Amino acid sequence: MTLLSARGLTAGYGPLKVLEGIDLDVNEGEIVVMLGANGAGKTTTMRAISGVIARHGEITFGGHNIQKVGPDAIVRAGIVQVPQGRGTFPELSVEDNMRAGAYVRRDGSGAVQADIAKWFELFPRLAERRTQRAGSLSGGEQQMLAIARALMSRPRLLLCDEPSMGLAPLITQELFQIIERLNRDEGLSVLLVEQNANLAMHMASRVYLLETGRIVASGTAAEIGADDTIRKAYLGF
Amino acid sequence: MALFLQRLVDGLSEGSIYALLALGLVIIYRGTGHLNFAQGEMALFSTYAVYQFGEWGVPIGLAVLMGMAVGFVLGAGTEVVLVRPISRKSPFAVFIVTIGLFQFLNWLDGALWGGQQLPSSAMGSKQGKFPSLFPNNPTDYFNVFGAAIKWQSFWMLVLVLVIGGGLYVMFNYTKLGLAMRAVASNSESSKLVGIRTGTVLMVSWGIAAAVGALGGVVYAGLTTNVNQSLMFSVFIYAAAAATLGGFDSPGGAVVGGLAIGVIQNLVAGYADEWVGQQMKVGVAFLVILAVLLLRPAGLFGTSKVERV
Repeated sequence: MTLLSARGLTAGYGPLKVLEGIDLDVNEGEIVVMLGANGAGKTTTMRAISGVIARHGEITFGGHNIQKVGPDAIVRAGIVQVPQGRGTFPELSVEDNMRAGAYVRRDGSGAVQADIAKWFELFPRLAERRTQRAGSLSGGEQQMLAIARALMSRPRLLLCDEPSMGLAPLITQELFQIIERLNRDEGLSVLLVEQNANLAMHMASRVYLLETGRIVASGTAAEIGADDTIRKAYLGF
Repeated sequence: MALFLQRLVDGLSEGSIYALLALGLVIIYRGTGHLNFAQGEMALFSTYAVYQFGEWGVPIGLAVLMGMAVGFVLGAGTEVVLVRPISRKSPFAVFIVTIGLFQFLNWLDGALWGGQQLPSSAMGSKQGKFPSLFPNNPTDYFNVFGAAIKWQSFWMLVLVLVIGGGLYVMFNYTKLGLAMRAVASNSESSKLVGIRTGTVLMVSWGIAAAVGALGGVVYAGLTTNVNQSLMFSVFIYAAAAATLGGFDSPGGAVVGGLAIGVIQNLVAGYADEWVGQQMKVGVAFLVILAVLLLRPAGLFGTSKVERV
């Protein structure tokens, strides 16, 4: 079943148009990977879906039109973004970061506290640093915190903007394993954009290729991996 | 000993006014990174409003609450109408805009209430003096170790501690406070977790102006009148207090405000002959300079820490 669907999505910054009308679907339970070089419009796609920049075209989520609603309503509907470069609240403690992630919830602090405990089990290193300021964590820990914070809103769709950026390969691997586990165990759908695709391709249900604001190819991970030109350009082998 | 105690308490009560204004500055600075140059004049407008409510026969307690409401609307309106559209274009322009607002509000006070001190029997004021929240007759004092402490001074200190404590609880233990800290820390990420950053900033400016209004009213109660230049020096001291305490620390604003009040009063009291009344300002600033040399972020300010 289609969870997120975008048709003719355009967005940009002032007079600069970055997305030239893209069509994109994420089905329930899928991990969809979007590949593209620097400047292709990956982050803009994410920000357009999250509603933090003006966008046009048709976007539906769970059958509801979300083109006109603001970022807070989009989070409440169940889409949450892990921004590029972690985007934690550096001056806030790890726990306060998590609480901020639950900002849109209306089910009381008991339930929020229970969720914090639950995600601390998945990210034990965050639990050890719960009272530390987020800015003092390592890059990998901050990325974990950004994901944990996103999970606090109880999303149905997680948008991950280049989670591997600036991380050591081993940490990236660990991170992707966690994302796969969330997808499998929690039924969380994921849209992930990456520049370095090798690891991301392994867990992808489907792949989109983005080039200067347009989708130039799409298909299952196997189909994309089998295409020689694409493989050379994006996967580097 | 008695004289020292008296000067200390007088300093604390004067400092509590600086602290209230400084709290407003800190709330806005934390939220937006702007120094609100119009903070003192916003407070003054609300203070004039309280005078007006008094003329209409509103009892002082209620008039102060109404004055704080006027301040809230003024602050929130400023954020929505002036600050928000302009900060999108240039953050520095916001500072200039608050200077313009400073002049505009001062002109507006003069246009509405005239340039003379109020209340004024020549202007037909019904009130004999500016209504005070706290008892301020010559006989309203109590003795501690031989020092005569005015009840007004005592209650002013209590007031600033209650307001400071209340803001501390709001910042650290409420959802609104969490949102305010989040917006101050990272605006884009705040949007991504579903915080309406615009509303949060609007409310921040409103709260800041309401707290400042309280400072203005209390100060006018102390001097028993309101006039157009009432808040000029208070604003300077409040800005100094915020700098001393750390511009992002509400607790620091309170401590900074009280410290400046105390330093001023002790210096004026004990070193009058070689420092002089006019120079007591300079002494306060020397102390600030010394503190900032050792702690650039202020006494309680946080220096930015980030690992990448």
